[in-house]
Amino acid sequence: MAHPLQLGFQDAASPVMEELLHFHDHALMVVFLISTLVLYIILAMISTKLTNKFILDSQEIEIIWTVLPAVILILIALPSLRILYLMDEINDPHLTIKAVGHQWYWSYEYTDYEDLGFDTYMIPTQDLAPGQFRLLEADHRMVVPVESPLRVLVTAEDVLHSWAVPRLGVKMDAVPGRLNQTAFIMFRPGIFYGQCSEICGANHSFMPIVVEAVPLEHFETWSSLMLEGA
Amino acid sequence: MSLQKPMMRGLLAKRLRFHLPIAFGLSFLAAIAFKYTVTEPRKQAYADFYKQYDAVKEFNAMREAGVFESVRPSGE
Repeated sequence: MAHPLQLGFQDAASPVMEELLHFHDHALMVVFLISTLVLYIILAMISTKLTNKFILDSQEIEIIWTVLPAVILILIALPSLRILYLMDEINDPHLTIKAVGHQWYWSYEYTDYEDLGFDTYMIPTQDLAPGQFRLLEADHRMVVPVESPLRVLVTAEDVLHSWAVPRLGVKMDAVPGRLNQTAFIMFRPGIFYGQCSEICGANHSFMPIVVEAVPLEHFETWSSLMLEGA
Repeated sequence: MSLQKPMMRGLLAKRLRFHLPIAFGLSFLAAIAFKYTVTEPRKQAYADFYKQYDAVKEFNAMREAGVFESVRPSGE
C-alpha cells in the first residue's frame, strides 16, 4: 500500500509493473530535459532588454524545432508501444477469476473447476483490528497462487467500476454488459491492495480490492475450505 | 583621437550564441543526472533484490506473522 507523503509508485510485484516503473523513469527523464531547457530559456529571455522586432522567418530554426520534438516523441513512443504489447500478451493462464463490481462491493468467482464465488465488503473503520489499514481492508480477499499466470475477467452488475491493484500494474474498467480481460503474474507472496477506480456513487471510495498471493498448495487448501464452507 | 565605434548590431544573436549551448548542455546534464541517480539505481535495486530473494522464506515469515487470511500460522 502507499505510505503517507509518498511521491513515487509503490514497489512492483509483477513484471509488467516493473517495466512500467522503468518506462516512467525514462519518460520523466525526458520531461526534466525539456523543462530544464525551457526554464533556462525563460530566465534568459526575462533578464535582457535586447529584442529583435524584425525577424520574419528562419528555415533553420523551424527545422530544428520540428525535428527535435519529433525525435523526442519517437524516443518515448518506442518503449511505450513495447510495454503496451507486452501487457496484451495473455500467456496460457493457469487460473481465470471473474471480478464483478457492484454498488458497493466486489464479488469474485473461481469457476475453472468448481463453482466458488463470494462477495467482499470493506471492513468499516470502527471494526478494524490493530495493524489493519483504514479503507483498504476487506472481509474476504481474492486469494491467488503466486508465480502462476492469472487471468481476471472484469465486469460490473450495475454502473461503471474499475478493478485496480497498483503494485501489480493492473487497472481494468468494469463495464456492465462487457467482459474485460487482464492478466498478470506475481513474483512475490504477500497482500496487495487496490481501490475502485471509476466513480460509482456514494461509496465509491469504500470498495477496496485485496489480493492475497500464496503458494499453490495453500491456494488449493483455501479453495477446498471455501467450497466446503459454501 | 577618436573612440572605437561600439558594437551596435548582432547583440541579441551574440547573447543567443552564448546562452543556447549552455541551455542545451544543462538540459542534457539534467537528463543524464536523473538517469544515473534515479533510473539506473532503481533497476539495480530491483535486480539486487531478486538475486537474494527467497519466496518460500518470505512466505513463511509472513505466515508466522499471521497476516494471511487463507493460511494460518503453523502453530494454529
